[in-house]
Amino acid sequence: MTSNKVAFVGAGATLLWVAIWAWLTREGGPVSELFFPSPGDVLDRLIMFWSRPYIGSTLMGHILSSLSIVLAGWVLGGIVGVPLGIAMAWWTRLKWIVFPIFQLIRPVPPLAWIPLTLLWIGIGDAARIFVVFIAALVPWVMNSMHAVYSVDKLLIDAGRTLGANDRKILTRIVIRSAIPTLLAGARIALGNAWTTLVAAELLAATAGLGYVALNASRMLDTDVLVVAMLLIGLLGVMLSALMGLAARMFAPWVKNDRNGG
Amino acid sequence: MQNQQSTPKLELRNITKWFGPKDTGVCAVDNCSLAVQKGEFICVVGPSGCGKSTLMTVGAGLEQPTEGEILVDGKPAGPPGPQRSVVFQKFALFPSETVAQNIKFGLQMCGVDAKEQERRLVEQLKIMKLEQFRDAYPSELSGGMQQRVAIARSLVMQPEILLMDEPFGALDAQTRTILQEEVQRLHREHHYTVLFITHSVEEAVYLGDRVIVMSRRPGRIKKEISLPRDVVWKRGDIEVAAEHPDFIAARREIWALVREEIIAQ
Ligand SMILES: Nc1ncnc2c1ncn2[C@@H]1O[C@H](COP(=O)(O)OP(=O)(O)OP(=O)(O)O)[C@@H](O)[C@H]1O
Ligand SMILES: [Mg+2]
Repeated sequence: MTSNKVAFVGAGATLLWVAIWAWLTREGGPVSELFFPSPGDVLDRLIMFWSRPYIGSTLMGHILSSLSIVLAGWVLGGIVGVPLGIAMAWWTRLKWIVFPIFQLIRPVPPLAWIPLTLLWIGIGDAARIFVVFIAALVPWVMNSMHAVYSVDKLLIDAGRTLGANDRKILTRIVIRSAIPTLLAGARIALGNAWTTLVAAELLAATAGLGYVALNASRMLDTDVLVVAMLLIGLLGVMLSALMGLAARMFAPWVKNDRNGG
Repeated sequence: MQNQQSTPKLELRNITKWFGPKDTGVCAVDNCSLAVQKGEFICVVGPSGCGKSTLMTVGAGLEQPTEGEILVDGKPAGPPGPQRSVVFQKFALFPSETVAQNIKFGLQMCGVDAKEQERRLVEQLKIMKLEQFRDAYPSELSGGMQQRVAIARSLVMQPEILLMDEPFGALDAQTRTILQEEVQRLHREHHYTVLFITHSVEEAVYLGDRVIVMSRRPGRIKKEISLPRDVVWKRGDIEVAAEHPDFIAARREIWALVREEIIAQ
């Protein structure tokens, strides 16, 4: 299918889903508004809290709070994770020093760090940034490591016969050919960071979309709850799309379908 | 002065290569010696898996031989470098770099100034007929075009020695023929010293001044056949050359030697 057709089908399907939602939640319909609001109610709430504060700040304020914490944790994860992953692949000894810790951390859900974090740094932004950092760090490191491993040894041989020294081989051949995999890792890290943050906000926060959702559910305010969930989903899609865009910008040699949309 | 025997440009002396521990691993090359004179085009043929690529990677300095030594101009060759340029069977182009960046890569590594880089790049693009593909990425090129880029990337270094490992093995027949003729022409004009590995007997007879037949694994040198140099039929197209009686005789002789090894495997 051409990209035009894809966009057309996608838009059509979205409309259809909204229509089904509206039909199910219509007045006297099969789903009562107590359990799930109609699209109209959700839109009302969205517009209302866009300008008026809800538990402390407007929706925009909550969104910015969530996004800034995600970005901070994700960027920190990248700053630590990318060099670490590359170094682990390049120096086998380092890999075997660090790897055992990693294997141990990997299966622990990032949220399990919350109790410790609360103990160490309390309930503020720093605590959430730390948990997001942990969530992003693992995919950053793993993908950076595999990105280096997946570079064809033949390219290194070619570089050597063309006079490249070790440093040039690392920077110009290994890291550059690894960029697509690095970007794929960045995308996974961002996805992990986002879902972890929202969950962290459900447990320990004073602002953010997860916090809004938690409050709304305590008040049995399903309208606001669904608004928050919808925004969480939409922002997740947006972040992922931005990463796809970044991939196309920073790795233009990769065929488009691999970068995704 | 007059009687001095010329030192070979590249010499592989008593090369033995084991993969894994000696005696329990795989012996890929067993005591091979071969000398390539300056300006000579040597082809190596042999059955698949006999150690041809190993011989070349050792010759390039990419792998250490278990025994023996590599000499360039009579001196130990040392680590790999642009003096011994390699064209790989699988192209080995840098995927993240454009055609122009790939070709300039070696020049940049060797600190050639930007103006000279550009001059040599333009020259190579012209020789290899790659002008329109200057800013394309390798993934956007056909196999034949990619191999042209790889050859240009080697030639731009003005290497003293050119090592080619089945450079046309992955190409379709038409593209292969064209590139064979191009390499023949380049060699005639520039007198490169070439060690060329192939499994195509025709290719070896058409391109080589000498053809070296390797035995089945572990690879030994079975026979060396000198071919007429600078004869008219080598200057023409390969199909025309292939009809010349000398070509047919040489092909028959070499093919018989290779066949023996394949059947004995
Ligand atoms: N890195 C390696 N480790 C272990 N064995 C190897 C290695 N490289 C090559 N070999 C073995 O050495 C032998 C010779 O391999 P080589 O690639 O030199 O053969 P070749 O003549 O180039 O074959 P082909 O015509 O198929 O390219 C093979 O049996 C191969 O399995
Ligand atoms: Mg081979």
